[in-house]
Amino acid sequence: MNLKACYRPLTLKEALDYLEEYKDKSKIIAGGTDLIIKLRKGNINPQVLIDISFINELKGVLEVGEYMEIGCGTTFYDLASCILLNERLKGLKDAARSVGSPQIRNRGTIGGNICNASPAADSVVPLLALDSILTLESKKGKRKIYLKDFFKDKGKTDIRDDEILTTIKFKTPTKNQGLGFYKLGLRKSLAISRISFSVFLEIDDINRIEIIRVASGSVGKFPMREYKIENYLTGRILDEDTLNTALEILEKDIYERLNGRNTARFKSIAAKGVFKKALLKALCLAKGGGKIED
Amino acid sequence: MYRRIKKVLGGDILKKRGKGIGVTFYGTGYGNGFPDVSRAYARLLEDGKVEILVGATEVGQGAKTVMVQIASETLNIPIEDVILVNEDTSKAPDAGTAAASRQTYNSGNAVKIACENLKDNILQEAKKILNVNSKIGLVCEKGSVYVKTYPSKKVSFKEIANINNNLKGEGVFIAHTTQMDENGQGAPYWPYTFAACAVEVEVDTETGEVTILRAKLVLDVGKAVNPTLVEGQIDGGFAMGVGYALMEDVGLKDGKMLNSSFEKYIIPTSLDIPNIEKVLIEYPEDTAPYGAKGIGEPVLLPVAPAILNAIYDAIGVRFYEIPVTCEKILLQLNKG
Repeated sequence: MNLKACYRPLTLKEALDYLEEYKDKSKIIAGGTDLIIKLRKGNINPQVLIDISFINELKGVLEVGEYMEIGCGTTFYDLASCILLNERLKGLKDAARSVGSPQIRNRGTIGGNICNASPAADSVVPLLALDSILTLESKKGKRKIYLKDFFKDKGKTDIRDDEILTTIKFKTPTKNQGLGFYKLGLRKSLAISRISFSVFLEIDDINRIEIIRVASGSVGKFPMREYKIENYLTGRILDEDTLNTALEILEKDIYERLNGRNTARFKSIAAKGVFKKALLKALCLAKGGGKIED
Repeated sequence: MYRRIKKVLGGDILKKRGKGIGVTFYGTGYGNGFPDVSRAYARLLEDGKVEILVGATEVGQGAKTVMVQIASETLNIPIEDVILVNEDTSKAPDAGTAAASRQTYNSGNAVKIACENLKDNILQEAKKILNVNSKIGLVCEKGSVYVKTYPSKKVSFKEIANINNNLKGEGVFIAHTTQMDENGQGAPYWPYTFAACAVEVEVDTETGEVTILRAKLVLDVGKAVNPTLVEGQIDGGFAMGVGYALMEDVGLKDGKMLNSSFEKYIIPTSLDIPNIEKVLIEYPEDTAPYGAKGIGEPVLLPVAPAILNAIYDAIGVRFYEIPVTCEKILLQLNKG
């Protein structure tokens, strides 16, 4: 290990100063639940760690007009127990609650989950379905980017080496809207997702889909939006035939995406079931938080 | 309309339930001709307590508790008066491995025999001290020996130890273990422990997920030396069986383990395990210490067959390979 120093700034400004100074020789550490493992395995070899976990201005959830703004240093535990996030956002809380173990949820942060760009990042999937906007800050200034455009490849993002992801924001769901999430893991807790889906839905009284945004985890190089199924479903009345056609589109799309991998067939079939469960949850929330009998 | 969509999206029709049972019997000890001997020593200490030396390793199964209980029962002394030395190889004699579900039965027998021999020596000494002509009619109770028809005629273990500081007993137990013939016939073990497990599962036909809803495990223990420990063994054995049936896979490829860490080698969590209804059948085994047979492995064995039978009952697919993962289930359900 090449590590020479670990800085613990108390303000964002201070953190950006360190980052400007060390750039690619440094790594930002927040919860450290992924970073420490990479350090130990020798997958990364920074000279300097910049520990942002003591910067209070990066933590917590704020309501700003019609938006919810989440600080990058907010832990999964904080997110899962946040009273500002209403019932319609249950999908986001479910995802935060499904991350790792209680220890991981107490340490791991939403910003880390995004910047680590793992295909199996649980919290990223509902944030994609919410069409979240990220704020990236550096000494040079701020810029905003949609989460859906942030990932470039497995483990690769659009962030520059002098930037910190500071906030994630999305519109607070309102009447007729709901966010669902479902994760298929190999066991009922402490599970890495095999497949996850999140659905944001706005549906009217005659079951016409006004808005639908679908995001997936672990069925591509990074968590991503499923535009084909979104495009098909938008504006249609949700009935059995529509759903079946949508599922066919999804299965075909994912099978083609994973073609050549030995999990392609399994994942393309299972994705349909996982998507349906996420959709059902979103639907129940959109229809007024009705209980899901399952 | 809303109800209909909900039904289309995933009502209970897509989750199939099934029940299954598994029944097994299992020989205690090494068996099949492999020598199986346990040794123990018992010694009366100066303060009237009794030291038990036995190389029965505690691996969480409860050997330390069970050996003390057996000694306490045999000598009729409080458990506080039993000093167990079980993992110091410079002192304790070889009692074989904590394996093959054999410690309670085999080493328990050795401890019982050692204590019986010590007790005999203590009574011999007490006979002299109490000035009676025979051990017959002497009672050993709570660290004292007295004459049954004349209870005030009494001497404590401590007083006995002060008069004779060399009272010991040795116990050797040689288990039944004979090799089977070339056709695999014979009598390799004695005794056998019987176990039965029943489970109800729910299989999600859209994702392949298996949930165990209910479980019951019935175990013929001979005698439960410590019922709470046996129940703990059932909880642990059941969870191990769930992992074996549904999750655990070393992923051997070209002689190498692909799943060589707990990141990929998946074992169950508490959320994967239902409440287990437990039934202990106590039908004492004549050759066992107070009737107690080995139960460590028997609690695990019927679990995977019960789960696989329940999956078959639920979805009509018979699996011949474990673990039965969600992937295998889903591919079978979507075959052709």
